[in-house]
Amino acid sequence: MTALVRWRSAAPRGEPKRAPAGDAAAQLFHVSKSYVAGTYALRDVSLEFRRGEFVFLTGPSGAGKTSLLRLVFAAERPSDGQIVVLGRNASRLSPRSVPELRRRIGVVFQDFKLLARRTVEENVALALDVVGTPRRAARTRVFEMLKQVGLQHRRYQSPLSLSGGEQQRVAIARALINEPDILLADEPTGNLDPDLTIEIMDLIADTATRGTTVIVATHDQTILGRYRKRSVRLEGGRVTEDRTAPGSAP
Amino acid sequence: MIRAGARLLYFARTSLRGIAATPGTAIVATATITVALVLVGAFGLVVLNMQALLARVGDAVQVTAFLADGLPEADRAALVRKVAAISGVARTELISEAQALERFKGGVGQGFALVEGLGTNPLPASIEITLELRYRTPGDLSRVASAVASLPGVDDITSGADWVEGYVRALALVRGLAIGLGVIFVLATTLIVSNTIRLAVLSRRDELEILSLVGASRSFVNTPFLIEGLLQGAAAGALAWALLYALFRSVLPGFEAGLAFVLGGVEPRFFDTVETAWLCGGGAALGLLGSAIAVAAEARH
Repeated sequence: MTALVRWRSAAPRGEPKRAPAGDAAAQLFHVSKSYVAGTYALRDVSLEFRRGEFVFLTGPSGAGKTSLLRLVFAAERPSDGQIVVLGRNASRLSPRSVPELRRRIGVVFQDFKLLARRTVEENVALALDVVGTPRRAARTRVFEMLKQVGLQHRRYQSPLSLSGGEQQRVAIARALINEPDILLADEPTGNLDPDLTIEIMDLIADTATRGTTVIVATHDQTILGRYRKRSVRLEGGRVTEDRTAPGSAP
Repeated sequence: MIRAGARLLYFARTSLRGIAATPGTAIVATATITVALVLVGAFGLVVLNMQALLARVGDAVQVTAFLADGLPEADRAALVRKVAAISGVARTELISEAQALERFKGGVGQGFALVEGLGTNPLPASIEITLELRYRTPGDLSRVASAVASLPGVDDITSGADWVEGYVRALALVRGLAIGLGVIFVLATTLIVSNTIRLAVLSRRDELEILSLVGASRSFVNTPFLIEGLLQGAAAGALAWALLYALFRSVLPGFEAGLAFVLGGVEPRFFDTVETAWLCGGGAALGLLGSAIAVAAEARH
């Protein structure tokens, strides 16, 4: 694989490579995260994710991929360092401001996180309910979104009646319904077979072409080889490699 | 405005869906509040009826000063003027020996023959003293009775002070019990309801997590639970009212004789519209409080 090493955190001091002002979706400055004293999930990580960029976070289990995503959507605060997400300092956000930030970030998980008691349509509409979208408008938008992921005909069904791939498509539809600036996906294909993996990854990759910053945490080497996007490798909480495929569009 | 309406609809829908999703916890919460309201409501009814009796007997409570035998008319009139000048006295009425006998005859009915058999009128003249409304308290009754008793020409005195004092004490006791039990029931019910609703919150933790992920504010997440508590409490209030009314109508006839003695002829009454609103409102407030504690505890968790 021909790849260019963009920069390494072996020399992490100083600010991360800066994109032109206003072009950064998320920036991490010397971020460390420790859940237990003396043990670090992330250590002195400095990174920048540009608007519309597609980035893979790779590394073995426990490398800190999920912790990094949780810091970006303000589910956690860093133990040290600063995180700026969509122009806001996520490390200092008040609890009241966190929901506002999250409305601009879509999140997809390995276990889909769908509500079994609600229909597909209602699951997707949750993100619209939160921002007070009127019901009729919400239904129209959900229909359009489900159409994009090919599930409009399943909208009145329970998620439990869908296959794993279909459930993940519902989760992606919910994450994208508010046209987020950033889409975070934590092992989105971890529970899927290879065919469905490609289907879901194509859907996620398509999102980046529409200007959304996409950050996908995965340890699936097949995906990395197929999509040839920027990939940031984490090991033991540190960035050990940050590279992009030549000529790849962000 | 449209967004606010959409949110209200969402909250209403989610609350009803929440109740339907966890019917067990909804039933336990509603039943707990109902039991507490029935117990407090029953005491409330007793207090209300006792107060009604007190208000009614207040008109009849008076001090009666029996005059010495052979007191001249002029002295009687002077005595009436002195009594009328005492603070708190609203009205005085001089009852002569003959008038007293006439009243007695009217009062004893069949026993009239006994009085006839005596030959002479044994009843003394008296002054009936009615107090102003605000002075119809055990303390003022005693004060006026003492003042009247010290006047020359007054042989004996009777007042309802002892009876009123005893009744007021009993009323205070029942009211105190109602308040004390009310506080205990409110605390116990709030605790039970908050724990019950917390079970509902826990059973929907996945939903709360997802809502939080898609950017729901804390108030957005909590409001449906608060509405659930409010609805369950209001339903419990209505249920408690219905149970109390059924008890009032079915049990009351069996205790009519005893009630007639306790209430002295006052017709027992049930809650009026305002009191019913308080009962239902109290239930709703209990449900709301329980929910608020539950969601606050969950938020801390």
